Amino acid sequence: MPNATAAMALLRMRNAVFSAGGVEAGPVTLDLGAGEQTALVLRSAREAGIVALLAAGIVKATSGSVLINEYDPRVQSVHCKRIAAFVPYEPLPLSSSDFARYIAYRAALWNVEPIYAQTVASVLLRKLGDVHEAFAYPLVGALIARPRLVVLDRPPPVYASQILAVVGKRALFSTHAGAAAARAFSRSAAAISAAGSR
Amino acid sequence: MTPRALAAILGARLRAERRTILYACAAALVLGFAQPRGAAGLIFLCSLFGIVMALAQDPGRYPHLDRCEQSAPLFGRELARAKALVPCVAAVLAICGYSAARLLAGAGDAGVTLVAATAAVVATTLVALSATIRTGPSRALYVVLAGSAGACAYFLAIVVGSIPGELAFCALVSFLALRQYGEALARYDPV
Repeated sequence: MPNATAAMALLRMRNAVFSAGGVEAGPVTLDLGAGEQTALVLRSAREAGIVALLAAGIVKATSGSVLINEYDPRVQSVHCKRIAAFVPYEPLPLSSSDFARYIAYRAALWNVEPIYAQTVASVLLRKLGDVHEAFAYPLVGALIARPRLVVLDRPPPVYASQILAVVGKRALFSTHAGAAAARAFSRSAAAISAAGSR
Repeated sequence: MTPRALAAILGARLRAERRTILYACAAALVLGFAQPRGAAGLIFLCSLFGIVMALAQDPGRYPHLDRCEQSAPLFGRELARAKALVPCVAAVLAICGYSAARLLAGAGDAGVTLVAATAAVVATTLVALSATIRTGPSRALYVVLAGSAGACAYFLAIVVGSIPGELAFCALVSFLALRQYGEALARYDPV
């Protein structure tokens, strides 16, 4: 459910709609502050994918507005992409031997120190434990650039607790095509928060 | 864009298409032995390969590379330059294959032909790149335009015999094509 922290939200969507060539998504209205987590349920998988792209500043809203830390992706997409990391739904077709090359590639694109990137990536991969590498690699790759907002497109609910553990205190926005998947994320978030406050 | 990011995009995309590049270089090598003189075969084969390589940069062919590039903090024109370099480098590698065969066949120095061929192939490839983010008739139109650019370059360089004219034509076409591709890529929504 959208929450109501309007002051300096990291992600602010106001009636954000994407519509082109018969494809439509939204309207979405929400505010997500630093360190907060939101799991949004959409009508279809297609819409969930588009809303995630909107929230990451990769796709521009046709109407309404999306602001990522007050930057508008329509005019300041590079600033937005430094803040928001996008983790796609599609599993990554790479084997473990390609992992180092994949991290080096992402580190180059985000201008991250290569040795730092490889070190952080191996720590995160270890933390992800039994998460399948096809899902773990994109998440690890997204996190090496130290994003403040992580956008997950339909993350697998079976790995909810591991994903939330590596995302840590960053703001997290995930889109889902079914309420059960969103509930799994909300439950895991609540469990982690309860464990942290004990 | 940092040189490291440019090299990463170039390396990743060339690696993804390494088999196609290898086959094209082999075909150019065979052509170099079969027809070591004249520029028609070289310009048309390598232009065709440039168009194929440009179309291989289609969004969706390597979705994980596309998603990384789209979500990276890069301006559209920077990404366009990096992606444009990929088919150009691949086509130039094929020209190098042809040149190697030509030298081995003892056809002697053919610097002027190679310069003319490189300019024509780069112009053709850059025009074809704009087809990758379009569909339907406009996509076909860009492919036809790319072929026409190669044919015009051949006409200027070989039929008219004006290498400076061909180079000027190719430079203008390449500049406009790259600019057009960058603008289109900046507005492109990957849905």
